[in-house]
Amino acid sequence: MDETMKTEAVKTNQMMGAIAAIAGWLVPGLGHLMLRRWSKAAVYFLCIGGLACAGLAMRGGVFSAGAEDLFDRLGFFADFGAGVFYFLAHQIQAAGPDVAHATGDYGTRLFAAAGMLNFLTVLEAYDIGRGVEPR
Amino acid sequence: MNFLFGKLTHFEAMLFFALVVSLTFAFLSKRGAAERAKYTLWAFLAFLLVAIGIGWLMYPFSQ
Repeated sequence: MDETMKTEAVKTNQMMGAIAAIAGWLVPGLGHLMLRRWSKAAVYFLCIGGLACAGLAMRGGVFSAGAEDLFDRLGFFADFGAGVFYFLAHQIQAAGPDVAHATGDYGTRLFAAAGMLNFLTVLEAYDIGRGVEPR
Repeated sequence: MNFLFGKLTHFEAMLFFALVVSLTFAFLSKRGAAERAKYTLWAFLAFLLVAIGIGWLMYPFSQ
């Protein structure tokens, strides 16, 4: 393989990795689905989606962008990782958050955990897309 | 979603959290069904043990 073909192959791999990562962030498991990792895609979608929905059903809070303090900004970063569940949070959680009770507070953590888990799966999808299969 | 998760007790929510996080970590870090099942079980029990342990340690402060 000459140098030009190698460069093209690396570019293609990086592009595939980036597309899988973005898809995986938007819908948990979608990146793996594109890369034909069927079982991983199903498990990630069910686990992360379930965790996000449980957090919202428990009336957990969802942090919004442009928060003043650092804790809220970190919360936004974590929540944002849940992709489509973050954008649909207000539709799924029609009654709105209720963090005055412990259940709502737990829901906030569950939703943030879903976002952080999704970031891990996004990194894995990026690696698989680039052709670097994680162990 | 409320019919599924809306009525969870705190303990049930903790069990659910432990199960899905263990399962996700198993699929992220292990290959093969047997290894994944073993890791899921191990991590789930570890989550449970730590949560109950911390709850037990904090109990005197709630009195």
